[in-house]
Amino acid sequence: MKRAHALLLLLVVLLLAIPAAPIESRTYVLQVLTFMFVSVVLAQSYDIVGGQMGYVNLGHITFFAVGAYAFGILFNLNMGLLASLALGTAVVVVFAALISYPFFRLRGAYFSLAAFGLVKLMEQLTINLGWLTGGSNGLKVTPGNRVLAMYYASLGVVAAVVVASWLIERSRLGLALKTIREDEEVAEDFGVPTFRVKAQALILSAVFPAIIGGLYTWYINFIDPNQVYGLSVALTPVAMAMLGGSGVLVGPVLGAVFLYLMQELIYTQTAHLHGAMMGLVIVLVGLFMPGGLVRLGPVARVLRRLGLTVEEA
Amino acid sequence: MSVTIAVQLVVNGILLGGVYALAAFGLSLIFGVSGVLNLAHGEFLMGGGLLVWLAWDLTGLNPFLLTAMIAPLAFGAGYLFEKGLIRPLAQRKEHVRLASAVLVTLGAALMMEDIADFLSLNTQYEKSVDLFLPTIVLDKVYLPSLKLVILGLVLALIAGLFLFLKRTYLGLAVQAVTQNRRGALLNGVNTVRINAIAFGIGTVLAAVAGGFEVVDTYVAPNIGLPLTLKYLCIIVMGGLGSFAGVALGGIIIGLGEAIVGFFQPAWGQTVAFLLLVAILLIRPKGLFGR
Repeated sequence: MKRAHALLLLLVVLLLAIPAAPIESRTYVLQVLTFMFVSVVLAQSYDIVGGQMGYVNLGHITFFAVGAYAFGILFNLNMGLLASLALGTAVVVVFAALISYPFFRLRGAYFSLAAFGLVKLMEQLTINLGWLTGGSNGLKVTPGNRVLAMYYASLGVVAAVVVASWLIERSRLGLALKTIREDEEVAEDFGVPTFRVKAQALILSAVFPAIIGGLYTWYINFIDPNQVYGLSVALTPVAMAMLGGSGVLVGPVLGAVFLYLMQELIYTQTAHLHGAMMGLVIVLVGLFMPGGLVRLGPVARVLRRLGLTVEEA
Repeated sequence: MSVTIAVQLVVNGILLGGVYALAAFGLSLIFGVSGVLNLAHGEFLMGGGLLVWLAWDLTGLNPFLLTAMIAPLAFGAGYLFEKGLIRPLAQRKEHVRLASAVLVTLGAALMMEDIADFLSLNTQYEKSVDLFLPTIVLDKVYLPSLKLVILGLVLALIAGLFLFLKRTYLGLAVQAVTQNRRGALLNGVNTVRINAIAFGIGTVLAAVAGGFEVVDTYVAPNIGLPLTLKYLCIIVMGGLGSFAGVALGGIIIGLGEAIVGFFQPAWGQTVAFLLLVAILLIRPKGLFGR
């Protein structure tokens, strides 16, 4: 475990020091890293429900989008940054609690589909409730230069979501989630209060996208429905978690970093067919890496040596 | 609201729901047999529509004839799609398979959309076939005969599908695999081949629906995923694997969109998802689910 600790410490110091590094195009680097952190938060928080509990939640992005909009609306009422973030997150928590009852009556493919439908439903609601959200024209908040602050804030959320996932995995709740993933009937027969546990997991996985969604609005000053509900935006976190390795602690983080950098590379280096190339990457992940990067032989060996257990897919 | 408008809306809704139901049948067939939610289904519809448009643009033949001519092509595409992308996932654990299938079909959908988009650079984005047929007016209710022809063809195709499923060996094998894969295997059904055939037939239905769409309204590269979602709503609403449910789901969504769209145009597209959530709240396994 010691080597893992040392490496983690090194990584944290490195990430904290980057803004002070004497490099050219510092703003660009910070921006790329910030958006990467957003992806990491989304993928890692998706995995609480998607990986640990085995419910493929295709509607995970709604928490991010509702958080982003709630924050924007509150912030425009001059609520102040922290108050808007807190209230916006509270809105998302209530939202998650409300949808957990109807949605967790569904299982497997039904759940995934209904959740996917929820993305579209919320997008349409956002477009149609123009008096509240600005409709398809989008929502503006007072601009400002927030590059450095956002960098640290999003890094903080990444740390929080990783620690939270780690704590959940080791807790009684994590055990319950794993039991539900393997066999829900058996879990119920052995006294796991499945309904409550599933609702708790959904709420926990909603908190982090809500916070990062609010910060996202604050950072880029402008959001519109397509930007936060778009289909490729909605499904990338799922692809990232799968790519890295669903159900393993650092899996989604690795997947998010890899896929995000890949995306950045494709978009900056080629003129056409970005979507097709991303699609190809996603197809290849689905076909050849069911367990994700972390379960590939060499990667798994390195992770084990660092003291991180990797179970078979 | 006058009676005429009410009748008109019901007529419009049923005409709309018919084409929805046709493509949704294909998706439902695929899901029933292979257990895969094919997120690329709408892309095959888009592809079929674009092919019909292209052939029509080049030859000027009747678009319905051209639609019939691309059907074998669509079958081949669906067959190969299953063989190359879906079959390799068969041995995985259930929740892993669900997620992998989502990834593979989604990635394929993104690719197909982007390639279609790339190929239609420098041409108009929304492509449609001009085919004028007179509108029949029946006691102040307008019956566009083009839509009636399409509805007739849809009904004929659905009837054909039913005959195929009930009367032929292959159709019975498809049903057997839908009901119980292992049981079918033990009775000598080549389940692997049936999977590919179901994908082929489902894709034909999608491509034909695309041909109808391009005649009736338009087809553009970006219509695939939203349509797939709508079809998914329909088959989940009806109950996965239930054919009566699909027909009813298609009609319900068509009616809902026609009626709500008439009074509140902006909310027309929301209906499908609201109805889906409402119905799943009452019946978690859909209207006809077991």
